[in-house]
Amino acid sequence: MRAALTIDNYGLDYLTASGVVPVLRDVSLAIAPGEVLGLVGESGSGKSSLAWALMRHLPANAREISGSLQLGDIDLQSLTAKQLTAVRGRRIGMVFQDPSTALNPTLTIGRQITEALMRHRDLNARDAKALAIELLGHVELRDPAAVLRRYPHEISGGEKQRVIIATAFGCRPDVILFDEPTTALDVITGARIIDLFARLRAETGVAALYISHDLAMMTRVADRVAVIRHGRIVEQAKASEIFSRPQHDYTRSLIAAVPRPERRLVHDIPGTDVLLQARGIEVQYGRAGLFRAAPPPATKAVDIDIRAGEIVGVVGESGSGKSSIARALTGLARFSGAISFDGGTLRGAGDMGAGYRRDVQIVFQHPDSSLNPRHRIGEILSRPLKLYGGDTAAVPRLLEQVRLPASYATRWPHQLSGGEKQRVAIARAFAARPRLVICDEITAPLDVSVQAQIIDLLLALRAETGAAYLFITHDLNLIRQIAHRIVVMRHGQLVDSRAIDAFGTDDVHPYTRELMAASPAPVG
Amino acid sequence: MTELLQRMIRKPQGVIGLTLLVALAILCLLGPWLAPYGPEKMDFLGRFRAPGWQNWLGADQFGRDVLSRLLSGARATVPMALAATLAGSAIGAVIGIGSAYLGGKSDEAIMRTNDAVMAIPGLLMALLLVSTLGNGAGNAVVAIALAFAPGMARVTRSVALAVRNQDYVKAAVARGEAAAHVIFREMLPNVMGPIIIEATIRVSFAVMLFATLSFLGLGAQPPASEWGLMVADARQYMHRAPWILIAPSAAIALSAIAFNLVGDALRDALNPRDDR
Repeated sequence: MRAALTIDNYGLDYLTASGVVPVLRDVSLAIAPGEVLGLVGESGSGKSSLAWALMRHLPANAREISGSLQLGDIDLQSLTAKQLTAVRGRRIGMVFQDPSTALNPTLTIGRQITEALMRHRDLNARDAKALAIELLGHVELRDPAAVLRRYPHEISGGEKQRVIIATAFGCRPDVILFDEPTTALDVITGARIIDLFARLRAETGVAALYISHDLAMMTRVADRVAVIRHGRIVEQAKASEIFSRPQHDYTRSLIAAVPRPERRLVHDIPGTDVLLQARGIEVQYGRAGLFRAAPPPATKAVDIDIRAGEIVGVVGESGSGKSSIARALTGLARFSGAISFDGGTLRGAGDMGAGYRRDVQIVFQHPDSSLNPRHRIGEILSRPLKLYGGDTAAVPRLLEQVRLPASYATRWPHQLSGGEKQRVAIARAFAARPRLVICDEITAPLDVSVQAQIIDLLLALRAETGAAYLFITHDLNLIRQIAHRIVVMRHGQLVDSRAIDAFGTDDVHPYTRELMAASPAPVG
Repeated sequence: MTELLQRMIRKPQGVIGLTLLVALAILCLLGPWLAPYGPEKMDFLGRFRAPGWQNWLGADQFGRDVLSRLLSGARATVPMALAATLAGSAIGAVIGIGSAYLGGKSDEAIMRTNDAVMAIPGLLMALLLVSTLGNGAGNAVVAIALAFAPGMARVTRSVALAVRNQDYVKAAVARGEAAAHVIFREMLPNVMGPIIIEATIRVSFAVMLFATLSFLGLGAQPPASEWGLMVADARQYMHRAPWILIAPSAAIALSAIAFNLVGDALRDALNPRDDR
């Protein structure tokens, strides 16, 4: 039987001013009809470039140096621009990473679906609309006829991704490329999208290339998994076997980096004296206007205690108010309620003196935006030293503390990788010798192996300095490895708070159970 | 500094812009000595003489050499326009960033006041100020600077609002940094790009505003050879001797282009991310 998609000995370069950068080398993959091939790799491994090469939408500085791309019997590389329009969408579909930018914000959902259907299925407007309603109903959207009339900003991220998936499947292509379709969504929504994908592929028998950085998820969506590193395929195996019998060292290191809740990384027990006690923290964004009521508060009367040296995990889906807590505790958001810290009581950002600011530090989610692009690393690190009293000669020591060479002090942030930037942000927080560090989703944008290194670093720093952590995350498996206590938030409310020993018991909140079901431990 | 220059001349636009600007600077410094005739030297036999070997760019209604007037007028035109733009941009930038940093009600108050000032047309505003402060080139600079500030404040604020939400600004606020540090050290360097672009475009507007003020008798006074004044004077002889109009207009356009190109090159060179 002929393969649905064949990539043979494919090589790709990017031409840049600093020379030729190899992106893909000797990539050979074949996807049989109805098969799902998972492609796993870290950022920069070339996996998205492969997807764009297949869609024939490469940047102008890309050079294909070898190999062939075959979709069934079509040679993709020989197609003219006009022939391509008949192949894209109809024969090969694509689902993008970020649903919020994949739909045109100025057109209704209906326009965008029916346009694709009319073009690729040769339907008239009336039939296309009927089919669109059927398709949207099929991806479990409530009231599809109403959704057709809405604009993208009027539906949620998960719903948008369903619309895109419905459009891709609706054109009945031979192959669909999925480029990290759940990365931009929160855990529970992502888990539902994966369930939907499994059902649709069982029904339609479409072949798919599923690109992801998440090895654990691959075992649930793919038949076969290929591991890509620096543009080369290092290993291909059945999805059921890759975890139990990895062949390549790199695959083994990837598997080792996947967080597993049963493997605890923290073994000590924190002290009993409470470091920070927050009572009735309520964060409210926006005020009531003349004609509109105030929006609901982002958090509703949340109580949190953090003991000295304790690691407290805060989990919940996006919009649950986790980050608002971090912003209240650092004085970035206006809040009502009281924070007791070190014998004093704070009722607002104005009460936070230099002492509190030094003791409570925050590390942000996005390493790209948390370092000022116009400041060198040395200047970034010397700020807290100048502010809180310290010697700027300590910058090399700070860099060494986060396992970076001292020569990095003269570099610009953009010359560092994401993981290195996050290390600098951590060094900046620890420059103040804090007693509490708030980590706001700091591992979310990083690759698993980098994530594991950052966690190791945080634990080593904690052993050195005795700082407590408030660790905000949506990765339940990760937080179960390190936290002493886990707090679960939903819709701005604290629904569950329990010590890690009591986390697996039967009396957990139903929502906590749902979260645990959505992030299953990797098999094997 | 040399590194910055090297980065600027990496693209042809930067080279052209810098060359034009250097030429302009030479004109401002040495113009009167380079001129073949005195700027006010009249020649009644040579009125409206077409460009030729005697007068390279022709002569005007009094037989004055247009080239000589351009050369000696450069120092009356370019430094003034530059000073007015710089002052206006600086005031506007500080208002804009400060307003974005403060946010909330202070932001509303500052920006609504700003909008009210903006509602007065720039020329009217400048006229008002000059008639209050008195005639003369110095007061015209102040007037144009103040007329430019609200527009710059708007442009700056829109960029600064995005920068305000960046995590490095939040980190600085959470660290307890003083407002001045956050505004000048954290935010200002990251909004410089749009400010420079806007400012370079406004240099050419400033030249024209000066011309208008001079034309209305409130800026430079005849027989000064300020370029805008020359355009205004030449207007009535446009059909008879177009070169009197074209030469100073071209000079204004070229200096505007020079500032724009240099502004573009500067923006690219100032961006550490741009390593191409």
